[in-house]
Amino acid sequence: MMQFTETFPPPPPPLHQSSVITTPPSFNPMNKNQVLRVGSWPGYFPTSKSLQGRLGDANCMEQLLVHCATAIETNDATLAQQILWVLNNIAPPDGDSNQRLTCGFLRALISRAAMSGNCKLLSAVANVHAASDPTTTSTHRFSIIELASFVDLTPWHRFGFTAANAAVLEAVEGYPVVHIVDLSLTHCMQIPTLIDAIAARLDGPPLVKLTVAGAMEDFPPMLDLSYEELGTKLVNFARSRNVAMEFRVVPSTSSNGFSSLIDQLRMQQLRRAENGREALVINCHMMLHYIPEEEEEQTLTYETAAASLRTMFLKAVRGLDPTVVVLVDEDADFTSGNLANRLRSAYNYLWIPYDTVDTFLPRGSKQRQWYEADICWKIENVVSHEGNRRVERLEPKSKWVRRMRNAGFGGVAYSEEAIAEVKNMLDEHAAGWGLKREEEDHLVLTWKGHNVVFATAWIPI
Amino acid sequence: MKRDSMNQDNFSSSTAGSCSSSTKAKMWPCDADDGGGGGGGVDELFAVLGYNVKSSDMAEVAHKIEQLEEVMGSVRHDGLSQLASDTVHYNPSDLSSWLESMISGLNPMPDFDSSLDNPFLDSSPTLTATTTTTNSFDSRPRMPVDLDFGSDLIAIPGKAVYPRTQPPPPPPPHQHHQPQAKKLKTSPSLGNSVSALHRDPVFARPVESARPVVLLDSQENGVRLVHTLLACAEAVQQENFKLAEALVKNIGFLAVSQPGAMRKVATYFAEALARRIYRLYPTNPQDSAFTDLLQMHFYETCPYLKFAHFTANQAILEAFEGKSRVHVIDFSMKQGMQWPALLQALALRPGGPPSFRLTGIGPPSHDDTDHLQEVGWRLAQLAETINVEFEYRGFVANSLADLNASMFDVREGETVAVNSIFDLHQLMARPGAVEKVLQVVRELKPEILTVVEQEANHNGAVFLDRFTESLHYYSTLFDSLESCGGGGGAAAAGDEAVSVQDKVMTEVYLGRQICNVVACEGSDRVERHETLAQWRTRFDSAGFVPVHLGSNAYKQASMLLALFAGGDGYMVEENGGCLMLGWHTRPLIATSAWKLS
Repeated sequence: MMQFTETFPPPPPPLHQSSVITTPPSFNPMNKNQVLRVGSWPGYFPTSKSLQGRLGDANCMEQLLVHCATAIETNDATLAQQILWVLNNIAPPDGDSNQRLTCGFLRALISRAAMSGNCKLLSAVANVHAASDPTTTSTHRFSIIELASFVDLTPWHRFGFTAANAAVLEAVEGYPVVHIVDLSLTHCMQIPTLIDAIAARLDGPPLVKLTVAGAMEDFPPMLDLSYEELGTKLVNFARSRNVAMEFRVVPSTSSNGFSSLIDQLRMQQLRRAENGREALVINCHMMLHYIPEEEEEQTLTYETAAASLRTMFLKAVRGLDPTVVVLVDEDADFTSGNLANRLRSAYNYLWIPYDTVDTFLPRGSKQRQWYEADICWKIENVVSHEGNRRVERLEPKSKWVRRMRNAGFGGVAYSEEAIAEVKNMLDEHAAGWGLKREEEDHLVLTWKGHNVVFATAWIPI
Repeated sequence: MKRDSMNQDNFSSSTAGSCSSSTKAKMWPCDADDGGGGGGGVDELFAVLGYNVKSSDMAEVAHKIEQLEEVMGSVRHDGLSQLASDTVHYNPSDLSSWLESMISGLNPMPDFDSSLDNPFLDSSPTLTATTTTTNSFDSRPRMPVDLDFGSDLIAIPGKAVYPRTQPPPPPPPHQHHQPQAKKLKTSPSLGNSVSALHRDPVFARPVESARPVVLLDSQENGVRLVHTLLACAEAVQQENFKLAEALVKNIGFLAVSQPGAMRKVATYFAEALARRIYRLYPTNPQDSAFTDLLQMHFYETCPYLKFAHFTANQAILEAFEGKSRVHVIDFSMKQGMQWPALLQALALRPGGPPSFRLTGIGPPSHDDTDHLQEVGWRLAQLAETINVEFEYRGFVANSLADLNASMFDVREGETVAVNSIFDLHQLMARPGAVEKVLQVVRELKPEILTVVEQEANHNGAVFLDRFTESLHYYSTLFDSLESCGGGGGAAAAGDEAVSVQDKVMTEVYLGRQICNVVACEGSDRVERHETLAQWRTRFDSAGFVPVHLGSNAYKQASMLLALFAGGDGYMVEENGGCLMLGWHTRPLIATSAWKLS
């Protein structure tokens, strides 16, 4: 015996019916029918309005990732499992850029679930996942040649190099001694170009003192030689350009706001103040966001700002009375304490490196694996980790501008020559890159109109 | 009906004041001896059984009991409060409380499952109550037993609970068990062993009742429990219902002292045996809504059903690759839990989603609600939000064998997947039904047929074999349940209540299966699980060839399990292109995929 039920799609159900379905189940074993009717499916699965397919697959993937993150955070194993299953099937590690991006986040979520949950099989999970993904590569240690050609492939770093060097050259004009403190993620990769430019200076090259922070922790891209070795190479390079150069490594860490470096610089400051002929350049290239920021509940008011290592660092730098401070960083916000918000924000920024890669690295190339492994490192750091281990704490340009102003700096506008130079550099790269001027004195690198990296120059006021 | 006469047999007065703290204290060292001596005898005790049981299996059961004991020992407090809350809210089944009261009326012993229906647990959940509530003890002779159920040891007020209506030989010292056991070994035939068991005071009596307080090592009790269950089943098989009745009473008594899983599983088996003995056959639940509800709790509590869905969906998703019009025919629609994930995955697959037809089959509901349609509605809503073209149809059928291929309206150019989760075995209750359904599936010309079944043979011709198999199977399953949810330390306090609820309902869900396997016969016995090997033969002769579930499915299942199953007892295993999910070394469910040869 059987009967037919209606065939879909029929007209919308009566209101009372749908309201029964959406009412959260209040469990009452005495009333089975009611319980069943409002049973737990599919409230468990994202059916929210936010999942609008017409906004594109990337949007759906982002929603799924956010739902998954929320499920993991609320110990909703059922939902987390369902979404992880879906994501596993729609985000192959060798798919298109959105799929690879999603895969990176998926891995990070799995890693977070493995770390935060009662999962005792962390290594087993890692193995299973690594085995399922032939493209998984640990972060690569670059040789200096590899790194140099690597950063040349894309304006991601070159944009900051070019803008910073132009600002530095203008600021140190006439100084016989130039002390450059290079806080750079890319291990002094912009210095050779700067030396070239300084060597060509009309009034003859100055003595260049280069100080770097010998970081105790290592962030990608990582270098396969020590800073001492790097320094020797740089000094030799400078000599070949007839520039005298002193190189010094000060062991220092971003985790305490480079305090030992600051101490060293303060001692030097005395001598510098005596002769008055030494320019001090603080070059911050994508490094300051590794300094811990305020606790979330604190606002950036003047009173509480003292509690932040970022503010303390900037105030200390201001105390050194530098000739110029260049601040280049990625224009995004990874500081939210809320995982879902942070994930969303990272997803809406880190699609860019995946999207651009097709323009400069062929599929399957080793370089591309290194490049994407470094992005994955970032994703994992943002999504899987908390506390001290979460070091990728980008802040947007607006926040850094506020910090600099609060610390007593004023912006320096880039000259037309500097802007022209940056434009020329961009011309060597793919069409999607663009340059934007914001608030007169900030330069912003864009990809398809989205902000990528900002470059700002500051002087004490 | 029989209640009154049964109640007359109940212990009417209590002389249980003898269970005092002083005697208890004296007995503690005694236990240590028991524990030491009991360990060596376990294998031999198994060996003498003479049943059609693999000794390795039984050793594993004993080992499991030991594991459980440890687990319970370490989380005793949690276990107690948890069980206490079980008690308040649930009965194992609609009928069981009624049956239980009847059985306990018959039975001069505590309830089969003291954790259920016991109002005292809430008020005094600590063990210390045993020594301090002498007064209430007089009026409530079962109380100390109940209070102690979660502990390794149990204080049993022998006289009070168990008046010497049965032969009261002096308590055989522990050492006597083994020589006797060895002697029994020489007469392994079923008949002999049963009569031997009957004579053996170990089996005739639950405890050495000459002592006022008897402390039993729960492992030793566990062995006896298994013995007694098997002996009882054997008596049932031989239609020696008098013996079976005596034994079934002991099961409840022995079960009380067992840690969680063993106690629960033994209680369900005891209930099932009792139903068979007293011919109180369970009627198959007409209330499919309640069955669905139980299954949803089963889904939540443990990974088995999720694993079933993930692995089947994986096979279906891969079979649908590149197809623009797909049609899933689901023999096991239930609450439609399997389909949101597949819909979502199809929605985001490269090349865009296919148009998706779903035909759901379910039993008629007991009331007038058309729940198949409601489930369809919700899926349709989901499909709309994720932009998947969706068409749904629900079929109500008492049995899959009532269907024929033309009803499904399979259209030209449509890729069909047929899906069955824990359903095909039920067809074995009707001769020829499996063959008929597989013929219908053939006519549907599916790209893939996904099947998930319990990995066990509960359909043997011999009752005792079925009983033994299912005892082993469900002990393992209940054992695995103890590891997930309900007691998980990671869960927040708020979640805990939900987990406990899920867990209890899951036990009821599985308890119904146990009851069906053990107590039912003929067309009423629908839980006719068979092994993958048996299914392979059947599919092979019906003209199907296996589709290998890819390594992707294996890795995903392993990963999801490792992440969320909580505990490392679950194992995914690949078996000739099929995937099995098991607890430790024992596979419990199997997913297989098939296509037309």
